[in-house]
Amino acid sequence: MATPDAAPAPDFLETSRKGVADTDLRRKLENSTGRHLDHVAHMRGEFPRYDDERDAARRIKEDAIGRLDELLIILKQKLEANGCNVFVAADAAEARDYILQVAKKAGSQRVVKGKSMTTEEIDLNPALERAGMKVVETDLGEYIVQLRRERPSHIITPAIHLSKEDIGQLFAEQLGIPYSAEPEVLTAAARERLRSIFLGADLGITGVNFAIAETGSLVLIENEGNGRLTSTLPETFIAVMGIEKVIPQLTDLSHFLEILARTGTGQKLTTYTNFISGPRRDGELDGPRAMHVVILDNGRSAMLADPVMREALYCLRCGACLNVCPVYRRIGGHAYNSPYPGPIGSIVSPNLFGSAAAKLPFASTLCGACRDICPVKIDIPRILLHLRWKANVTEPPIKWSADARRARAGVRRFARMARYPRSFRLLSRLGGLMLRPLTRDGYLRRMPGPFKNWTRWGRDFPAPGARRKETRGETVNASATQRPE
Amino acid sequence: MSAFHKMIATVKSALERAPRAVPAHAAAASPVVPVAHDARRTELLAQFARELEAVGGAFLGAFAPDDIRARTVALARQIGARTAAIGAGVTLDSDPIARALEQAGVAVIRPPSVRGAAGPDDAARAAYRERLAGCDLGIVEADAAIAATGTLAVVGAPDRPNSLTLLPPSNLIIIHADRMRPDLAAAVAGIGAETFIAKRVALITGPSRTADIEKMIVLGVHGPKKLYAIAIWPNEA
Repeated sequence: MATPDAAPAPDFLETSRKGVADTDLRRKLENSTGRHLDHVAHMRGEFPRYDDERDAARRIKEDAIGRLDELLIILKQKLEANGCNVFVAADAAEARDYILQVAKKAGSQRVVKGKSMTTEEIDLNPALERAGMKVVETDLGEYIVQLRRERPSHIITPAIHLSKEDIGQLFAEQLGIPYSAEPEVLTAAARERLRSIFLGADLGITGVNFAIAETGSLVLIENEGNGRLTSTLPETFIAVMGIEKVIPQLTDLSHFLEILARTGTGQKLTTYTNFISGPRRDGELDGPRAMHVVILDNGRSAMLADPVMREALYCLRCGACLNVCPVYRRIGGHAYNSPYPGPIGSIVSPNLFGSAAAKLPFASTLCGACRDICPVKIDIPRILLHLRWKANVTEPPIKWSADARRARAGVRRFARMARYPRSFRLLSRLGGLMLRPLTRDGYLRRMPGPFKNWTRWGRDFPAPGARRKETRGETVNASATQRPE
Repeated sequence: MSAFHKMIATVKSALERAPRAVPAHAAAASPVVPVAHDARRTELLAQFARELEAVGGAFLGAFAPDDIRARTVALARQIGARTAAIGAGVTLDSDPIARALEQAGVAVIRPPSVRGAAGPDDAARAAYRERLAGCDLGIVEADAAIAATGTLAVVGAPDRPNSLTLLPPSNLIIIHADRMRPDLAAAVAGIGAETFIAKRVALITGPSRTADIEKMIVLGVHGPKKLYAIAIWPNEA
């Protein structure tokens, strides 16, 4: 994964090309994301207040992020009053070091983790493993990708790139159970295996969905119950959150919960909404003896300082924008080389991982589907354009491949030409003459040379300078709608 | 004394001698307001039951406080539970339920006595957890419920530990009909900020579930596979 201090990340153009070539992956992604979008459409239809709640949630985030300093002070005070140890980490290394130090001091050996993208972001597991600890991811999807020694490929469905047959194969090999592709059988096998790990664990680590400043409560949302187990059974519990997770008060929460599950998983409410305000109290039979909260900046305050970027901090990590994104659905999450893939990943990653993720904002058609589905209406396309502009003016410049450089130079020349009507007309007439042998009814069915990929899948190109018989909204472009599959 | 006053006095003493006749329409116990209250309660319970079943839970119905015992025993028999863990009630005394279960041959696990300043020691906690992990049915009363989503809000306490709704493979959650709230915001407000600060609160909407394999829903990943809810319908005063 791409952390600032890790080895150079694989190039996005390469990994995305690999994703595009993998038709099997595309089938799996279409399957799962399609099923998710059906659920969401159904839920939205049943909930007429949906759009009002989105506006309400966005307003609360706007307010909270706008006075983040004040809220973080209150949150820290309240958490400490509730008996938590609070650590504020400026970057990934500080967060890792603190967690390692806590784990070592407590003598932890067996670590269980609830789902947490933030701990993926700070690359926590390798650090714990290097220190000799056994780390087990307990969310079913995370458990599956951990067994495969992979990274999650989706924010909320980590194993979305795998079919049930893939997982059956994996469990047969790694867990020694007879092969089955039945989700029930596979889930039961994982439950049994993980239950005994839970009962023996001495350190639990999870992420946080919301932190309520008013009460000093962390809210953890999940369906499986592994987050509850992780925060209840081990003697030490560490919650890791980004600074943007704080909301002012308890009454704000319902606005988020009303929309988060509906967009994220197509549920009205997730199975478990856990409120954790501190370690075990006197007389209680369960809960951790010690609770730590790590509040992480790691590039977020820089996003806060950029007026266009700022609204990216409203993100609830519901994962819906991944499922609607035509790019994500074709290249898959691993191509992004970031724990945050898809549209939201393309705007967040360059801020968190710097130049390693600088190309991601270019991986978008700017179609706007992400903005339309976003529960807090983040204008992702606008931020993408902003980041593209930034990538071109900041140092160090992006290293493009030779192909990409040629294409960019070509487009730049075209842009210069198109700025003057006379040169544009001249150019298109010239081009039209040259391409006439290939033109039929004003369209090119097959483009020559470097442009051949445009028409490769039956997509026509309007021939420059040619006259077409067409009225607005009704094209003669019949073959364009045909897709091979 | 005027004739008028005399007449009033006569009427008054006459009224005092014979008991006041009650008009027929006033004999019915509940005038308008309690009827609406009952209707509202029924409506919320029905909605709750529908939503709970939609997420894979089971609603056993609403019973008078004294009948909860019998229904609980029947459920334990039905699912073949040999051991059941029970936490202290919120509106209901859980002891009679525990005794009824024991009479029916179900071994009952109660939270170890938590009296004393230090509370249970590590060994007592570990032993309790072990027994919980091996038991068949966890029984607990919820503080509130949400009709719109089929959600039960369970507030942890020393004699009502969180693990009760987490470790056993089946759960029975009891909810008083008057603690049914229409939506999430009302339930959260009803529980109150103080409780959220001092206790662990879990909002539970159906059995534990996952959609991590091809987005297909499977129940019972880490938490309970079965979730039953039963409502207490208060006796009219």
